[in-house]
Amino acid sequence: MREPTYLILTALAAGPRYGYAIIQDVAGLSQGSTSLLPGTLYTALDRLAAEGLVELDREERVDGRLRRYYRLTPDGVAALATETARMRRFTTAAETRLRTLRPRTA
Amino acid sequence: MTSDPLARRYRRLLLCYPRAYRRERGEELVATLLDAAPPTRTRPTARETANLIGHGLRARLGRPTSRTVVAWAALAAVVCGLFTASVATRIAWETSRPMPDRAEAAAILADVLPGHEVDGIHVPSGLFRIYGEPLRLTDVDLLLFGEGNEYALTATTASRNGTPPVPLDQTAATAQQRLRDGGWTVYPVTHNDMYGCAGPPCDPTTIPQDTRLLAKRGDTVLEVNLYPHQAADGTYLAVTLGRTTPAAVLPAASVAGLLGTIAGWFLFGWASRRTQAPHAARRAVDVLFGVTMSLWWGPIAITAPLALQHHLGEPHPQPHPLWEWLGQPMFSLFLVAGCATALLGLALAALPSRRFQPRPAPA
Repeated sequence: MREPTYLILTALAAGPRYGYAIIQDVAGLSQGSTSLLPGTLYTALDRLAAEGLVELDREERVDGRLRRYYRLTPDGVAALATETARMRRFTTAAETRLRTLRPRTA
Repeated sequence: MTSDPLARRYRRLLLCYPRAYRRERGEELVATLLDAAPPTRTRPTARETANLIGHGLRARLGRPTSRTVVAWAALAAVVCGLFTASVATRIAWETSRPMPDRAEAAAILADVLPGHEVDGIHVPSGLFRIYGEPLRLTDVDLLLFGEGNEYALTATTASRNGTPPVPLDQTAATAQQRLRDGGWTVYPVTHNDMYGCAGPPCDPTTIPQDTRLLAKRGDTVLEVNLYPHQAADGTYLAVTLGRTTPAAVLPAASVAGLLGTIAGWFLFGWASRRTQAPHAARRAVDVLFGVTMSLWWGPIAITAPLALQHHLGEPHPQPHPLWEWLGQPMFSLFLVAGCATALLGLALAALPSRRFQPRPAPA
């Protein structure tokens, strides 16, 4: 799973979000390192919807602008959990090795 | 729907997306773009523009999630454009005047090379020939199997055998002066070894060098080659008189190249959209496309750098015809094989997709 996809799913794990809210959330989660553009976001949302990982929650109109809210499907929750567990295994392994490395390099 | 200038400009960029996509997503996409834009922004940023064009073209090509589909489409479109431009170049060459006849050649030679009575003037019967003959259907095997580079522009030729009446340096200097006086554009004189080292021991400084002089006036190109005297009956002077690229070639090649590029893009787009998953032949079409691009671009990748090196390495009153830069017709076997794989790929893409196949009726 690519990082932007992971971050979009993570953003939606907090609850339904509309396009710009997802972009803001992803920027916050990545501490500004991932700046999604709308073209990229909607291509990713289309793909995730086709894979059954996200779905439309509701539509709103605010100041004349259309907002569509998206939410995770149960499959989306499972995919995010699987990916998170996989990444946790990697980070745990890396942290373990770094701990053994630090005394030697200190 | 808001009508402020920024929204209008975003909507204009969304034209890169297919109509159906714009109908489904357009308003939402513009709303998100406007939400993300600071209040002072009046125009889309370069990054936004590139992003929307890129994703829009991907969607139009039927592979919205592919990062490379636009590059593949461009590759296919450009090569189609180069080939159609080459065909147009060849056709436009037919507007050229015939090669200089005996009277014209004799007048030029008498003016430029006085005192050198040539042994004879040979006037070719056409513009392009293979081994001196017009290209015929029976020559297909020559073209396909490695002798395509013999298909070349002809020229009126003349030569002189025997002992030079004056030193060759003097002949070259006189010819240059007379050409300039006659209004010719004279290119720098070049000298090349008349043969390579046969093997050690070899002293390159002992190899005799010829002298080559090129000049252009109007639509006529003159090439004078002077060879150091080596045998009593050897050739010391060889002259060719040819035609420059006709004026019609550039506009014809440009228009045909543009049309070919557009056609290549649309053809790629059609096949790409047809073979979106879950098309049964998707993998086969992708492989055939890769093979086609290799067969078409391979000779270009080999030939074009060499042709450029050759072009820059010595004076050229005119560039070689476009098809020679593409390695044609020397690698015409690759071109024909590529056409076969392209047609097979398009035929497979035309097969009905599973998406459109009716479900079997319940028993």
